[in-house]
This record gives sequence, C-alpha cells and structure tokens, in this order.
Amino acid sequence: MFEDLPGLKEHYLRCVRCGQCRSVCPVFEVVRNETATPRAKVFLAHMLASGELKPDAQMASLMSLCLLCQACTKECPSAIPVHKIVTATRSLLAREATSPLQRIIFKEIWTRPHLLNFSAGLFRGCQNLGLTGLGSSLGLLPPALSLPGPLPRRPARAFIQEITKAEGAPKMRVGYFLGCTTNFLFPAVAKSTVAVLARLGCEVVTPVDLRCCGLPQAENGQTDTAKSLADSNFAAFQRLGVEAVVTDCASCSAALQESSDLKGMEVLDLSNLLNDLLTGHNLQKVNKSITYHDPCHLAKAQGITAGPRELLDRTCTGFREMPGANNCCGGGGAFSFYHYDTSMNILNKKISSIKETGAEVVATCCPACTMQIRHGLIKQGLNIPVVHPVELLAQSLGLTFTT
Amino acid sequence: MDKGRLAAELKKIFPAERVLTGDLERKMYSYDSSFMARFHSFVPDAVVLPQSTGEVSAVLRLASEQGIPVVPRGAGSGETCGCLATRGGIVLDLSSWDTIEEVDTANMQVFVRPGVVHYKLNEHLAGLGLFFPPDPGSTRMCTIGGMVANNSSGLRAVKYGATEQYVLGLEVVLPDGQVITTGGVNCRALKNVSGLNLTKLFVGSEGILGVITKVRLRVWPRPKARGIAMAVFNELDQAPAAVLDVYQSGILPSGIEILDSSAIRAINMYKPEINLPSAEAILIFEVDGNPAGVEWEGAQIAEIVGRRAVSVEWATNPERMADLWRGRSVVAIAAARLRADGSRIFAGEDISVPLNRVTESLRRIKELGREFGVTVVNYGHIGDGNIHTAPVINLESPAEVARANGLVDAIHRLAIELGGSTTGEHGVGAVRNQYTLEEHGEAAEIMKRIKQALDPGNIMNPGKLLAPEGEIESV
Repeated sequence: MFEDLPGLKEHYLRCVRCGQCRSVCPVFEVVRNETATPRAKVFLAHMLASGELKPDAQMASLMSLCLLCQACTKECPSAIPVHKIVTATRSLLAREATSPLQRIIFKEIWTRPHLLNFSAGLFRGCQNLGLTGLGSSLGLLPPALSLPGPLPRRPARAFIQEITKAEGAPKMRVGYFLGCTTNFLFPAVAKSTVAVLARLGCEVVTPVDLRCCGLPQAENGQTDTAKSLADSNFAAFQRLGVEAVVTDCASCSAALQESSDLKGMEVLDLSNLLNDLLTGHNLQKVNKSITYHDPCHLAKAQGITAGPRELLDRTCTGFREMPGANNCCGGGGAFSFYHYDTSMNILNKKISSIKETGAEVVATCCPACTMQIRHGLIKQGLNIPVVHPVELLAQSLGLTFTT
Repeated sequence: MDKGRLAAELKKIFPAERVLTGDLERKMYSYDSSFMARFHSFVPDAVVLPQSTGEVSAVLRLASEQGIPVVPRGAGSGETCGCLATRGGIVLDLSSWDTIEEVDTANMQVFVRPGVVHYKLNEHLAGLGLFFPPDPGSTRMCTIGGMVANNSSGLRAVKYGATEQYVLGLEVVLPDGQVITTGGVNCRALKNVSGLNLTKLFVGSEGILGVITKVRLRVWPRPKARGIAMAVFNELDQAPAAVLDVYQSGILPSGIEILDSSAIRAINMYKPEINLPSAEAILIFEVDGNPAGVEWEGAQIAEIVGRRAVSVEWATNPERMADLWRGRSVVAIAAARLRADGSRIFAGEDISVPLNRVTESLRRIKELGREFGVTVVNYGHIGDGNIHTAPVINLESPAEVARANGLVDAIHRLAIELGGSTTGEHGVGAVRNQYTLEEHGEAAEIMKRIKQALDPGNIMNPGKLLAPEGEIESV
C-alpha cells in the first residue's frame, strides 16, 4: 500500500508480458481490449518510471481502470504484485498531475471525521429532498451516486461507546476498528459486531478518534495521507492499550493488516475470532438459504475464505456456494464511480451467480461489496437482502436492537 | 495515408469503440512476450477489433488499396513479435471475436471464431465428453486463431501432436479481401484428400498469407484417467535413454517433461518446500486413457525407467499428481528468481532437436551459457526433443543484453547443426527468420513465391516468417 514505484522495479522488470493475467481480470473480461489488461498497466508503469512516457490525463484514466482486486497478482506465473504497481503508479500520477477533486475528496474531507460527518449529513439531506434522485434522472449527477442507497439517519458512531463492557467475565480485550462505510451506511453491522463480541466475552474498545483506514487514499494516489491516517489510528488504539484489533470491513482489515506489520499491532479476522469464541456454543440457526460472496480484500488480499463460511454454517440452515464466489463484484472502491458502466457489467455476472443459487440471502464481509451487490439486486428487481455474517450471528444469539 | 485519415476510414468500417487510435492505446499493442519487443517499440498506426468476416474483408480491401501493413493478433502471448506491427500499419485484435459457433458432436468437430481462448474451448467441450488435444502452456490466454496461425502444441504433443492435426478447414480472408473456405466449402467429413491441401498451407503461416476468421477443428473423446510418474537420474544421459526404453516397450505417454540440474536448482531455491532431490535430471511422464490402461502403463513405466533412475514414483491420486507436477509448474518463475536483479527472457527458448541429440543439446547449451556468461535454465518436452531454455539476465545491463543475444544466436545455430530446428512450437515471427535459408535451403524460395502469389502487395504481416528481403536474391 505504501510502496513507491521505483521500489517496485524488480517486480515490473520481471513481467514477461505473457498475458496470463488476461484470463482472470474482471475489467478486461468486459472491456475486451489490451488497454484494460493488467500487463498493460505494468507496461505503462515501467514506461513511466523509466521516463519513456510522461504522466498525463490519458494515462491516469487508463490506470484508473483497475479494481485492485488482486486476481492478476494471484494468477501471475512470475508472481508480480500488479495491484501494488498500480497503486504506486496512481500515487506517482497524483503527485505529477494532481486531480483537484480527488485531492479534496480523499485528502481534505475523508481524513477529517467532522467534515466527513458533515458531508454525509449534507448528502442525506439532498437525498431526503429528492435532489440526488432528480439530479440522476436528469443526467446532471453521476449514476453511481445512487450506489449508497438511502443513508441511515444516524451513523454507528452515535450508538457505540468508546468502551463496551463484556457480558459476564471478560475473556479478552479487543479493539474494534469502525470503518467509514460501515459507520455511515451500515450502522446495524457495527452494532451487531460490538454486541456479539460483548456477548461472547470481549471488552470492545472503539476509540472515539478513529479516522479512515487509509485505503481509499492509497488507492487514489494519496499515499502520504494514507500513511498519516495509519499512524493516527495506531496511536488511538495505543492510547487505550489495545494490542489486537478486529473489524467487520474486509477493506479496512486489509489496510490495517498491511500497516500493522509496520506497527506491531495484531489484526485478527473477525470471522475466525468469532468461530473461536463460539466453540461450545449452541446457536439457534436462522432458517434461510444463504450464499456468500468473497470480498477481494479478504479472500485475495488475506487468503481468508473458510472462516466466513464456517460462521455461516453455524448460523444458517442452508448454505449454497455460488459459482465464482471469489470473483470481484466490480465495486473496487472509487472504481464504480469512475467507471459506472464497466462496473455494472462486472456486477451483472455476480448477480447472475447469486440468482443461480436460488438463495434467499446473500452474505459478505465487506460494506463496499454489500453496497454494490445490493445496488445490482435492486436494479434487477430482486428482493434478496445482503447482510454481514455477524448480523446473522447476532440474530442466532437472540440479540435485537434498533438503529 | 496519414493517421487521421486512416482512423476516419476505419471508422467507416467499424463502430468507433472498436477502433483504437490514441497514442497510449496503440502503444499497448507494441509488445508480446518476446525479448525483442523489450527493446523495440513496434507501435501500430491503428488497432481494430473485428467481429465479423465482412469487417475483416473490408479492412483488408482498404489496406490493399493503400498498401498498409496488416497484422493479425490473438492474445499477444507469443514470443516472436509475430503479432507486432514491426513496419507500422493496422493491428487486427481478433481476441474479442470469441464465439464457439457450433459443436457438431455427431461429426466430432467444432466451429470457432479466432478469438476463442484454448482453455475455454476445452471447458466447453469437457461437458460433452470431448476435448481439443493440443495443450500449450499458454492455455489460459492463447486463442485458437493464434494457435492455428502458429501451429502450436505443448506438453502432450508426444501423443497428440500439434494443432495442424486437428484443423479440418478454415475460413480465410485473403489480402485483397476475398473470402475462401479451405478443406471443402460445405464439408463436414473427417477425411478429405481432394485438391491441394490449402488448410495445411495456412496453418502455421503466421498471418503472412491472410487472416483466419473461422476454424473447423476435429475434437476427440476425452480420456477418462490420468497418471503421473516422476523419475530422478544421477546421470543426464540416462534420462533420454529411459525415454527411448519406454517407447521401445510399446508405450506412448501423453507427455514427457525434463528438468535438468539447472532447473532443479532453480526450483529448490525458489520453493525449498518442493524439495526436489538434487540430481542431474528429473523426468515427469504423464499417461492418459482408460483407467485400467493407465494403471498398467504407469506400472510398466515405473519398472522400465526404474532400471536407469535412482528413484521413480507413480501416482494417480490427484493430490499426489499435483505434488509431482509442482516443480514443473513453477519452473518458469523459479528461473527468474535465480538472481535478485534477474529477469527470464523469451529468446532461443524453443529449439527442437532429434531425440538422440537431446543430451548433447542440453550439455552444449550449458556450455554456451558459461561461454557467454549468461545463466540458463533448461526444461522442456523431452518426449519430442523440444527444449525450452530460459536465459536469465539483468535487462538493464547493455553488456548482458548483448551477451544474451550472442547466446541466443548460438543456441539457434546449435539446433540447426544437430539436425533440428530453431523452433519446435513457438514460431518464427521476426526473431528467427534470419535462419530460414539455413533451415530450408531452396524451399525458402518456394515459400517466397507462395507469399508473392497470394499477397503481391506484401501487406500481410510483412517482415515475418520468411527470410528477410534481399537474402534469397543474394543466394
């Protein structure tokens, strides 16, 4: 996440341009020409680093055509970390040819909780007045603005105390990283996470001064900002003496996982932790057929695929594996905003896979994927809820609360 | 024709989104997997993405009238600059035209458009109990059009041969835009010896005679079982001798791969957990067919090879087979990891030699590596004498690049000297055509006459496959 392009030289030089990445890239699969391939991006990065090409808007546009899903990184016969090369190239391009809008959104607003709160409130106000819907239907606003759906009235932060006591004798003390998307869009997930952890004997520490995990900044060329956010979040946990952290957001956990190596902080996977804590518990299973979508930031970035399925097995009666569960949903953070149509074409494949299972509920561990998949299901008129496994677990444990 | 006018003319034939003329867009069509492309920038004037025979015909008519080079391209996974616009012109990216038009199961054949990816075709056929046997290492990305144009093969060529054995007919657009069908206009027969065999002429013609727009392929029943044997040798000579023993016992494995000591060392350095025994050579035999036959052949191979090898292991259990295959599957990347600043290059990577000269070739390639001061890793399809050499160099060192070029030339000349060929399955393109005269003698002149007859304007992939202009005349 924090590498400089020159530091990745030994990797991009090693690309033999065999094109095997063509077989797995979800963007290439819908764009269908060489400019969308991962190897083209490695090629451009090489040309840029060696000075054979100069940064410009066309290059920034080609570099933005990547979900950073890491499918190519996993497939590459030469083990080239393509996603790191793309991230580093975006950072270089942002330094050389700054996009003012990108800088304002990712660096100035997103890094400041109060401004982010204010922006979310403003957005919700516009939604309530029907302005966003009107703007989209008149073509004045980008269609991707409809992705978040109606914002809940209050963010999760409004309900979650800095310290939540364990129910009964505390077994462990754990930090909860409350991510931005969960906070503003899915407060019920955050409440479930905290309540479930407390029920299972954890004292949950959610520092009040948490900021963004830094992933959106790193993915959009603001590496330095990402670094300072990581420092700030680490300090917040350190202030409260937390050594192990969990989060319900795959993207946040991937970002924390990468920066934690530098900080000596342990990042636990929520599903794996819950499976451990649940040993010996008898749960009232939710009587629904369910399928699961693997978030790229969990499955590809961290190799976590079994834990969430095990958790779903504990909490639901009928698990149905979808074909291509590990394929990207096309969200890719800001990707769906920059390339809405391409994103929707990728998403349609995911929706078809979901339909094929006939499941009543979709589960996934990433709020960004949840937002994207929910959008696709609604567009196709399908009444299939998208939930986090922890919400189902809360239900199995008989925890109820309002948001 | 200037680029602006060319773009305008192409947009009369294609929808705008299938014409790429931006500077960066074109630049991304300047490479394939070859060493040569690392040091040249073969940027086309325009790229188009055809979706119909009519579009290909129209663009070829335009190109013929204007004398513009046309270069067909599949996935761009080749190692020879075959799909690059070395003289500018229009690149036809055929990879998005990927319809499997018909699987005629009753007649054991399939009709596909050129962009169909090899593994996707076999995935589709598997559901019908069929398969298209040639199996290039690039299966996950290479296209059928590219395979036909390069007459590709792969690991299982020992038993199943190359693409040419499966092509029953082709739809080809000639340089002037005329569309022909080879192998019989409405023919669905599996055997056909009427007429000159134009199908074979176009298979392996590397796009210098026309553009392949449809392929009629023979498909085979899919084997039901598979097994793998791995044998370890303390002497290099024993490995090819063991291969011969197996053949002479009446067994034809589907594939026989070799890793020499350089490859074994590279694999163990890259992934110590694979833990290959340190040896002079490792052979991996693959047998396929019916379950009883596979078991019998596997047991025979283990016994026969065991007489020369220090150890042999035979497996039909999928996990164990995957274990035995692991070394072979990582050898390409392992080669690149031999040194921190090293990159594996695709050059001199595909010679083919008579079976009884394989040992000598491996030994002499190693000697050449030492002579030129270039690290080499050798592996390949020993069952048919096809050796893949992977030179590993620092691409940023001009001295190493020059030495690598010297080594590659020496490897190619070695192949010819030993009665082999400079290329067993990857093709000639722009990187091996300087050896055409040496390899083919007077036949090279006939190749040129065929090219002139079909493409008098020399617009189809000029500068590829044939001896460079001027060379034949000077003989």
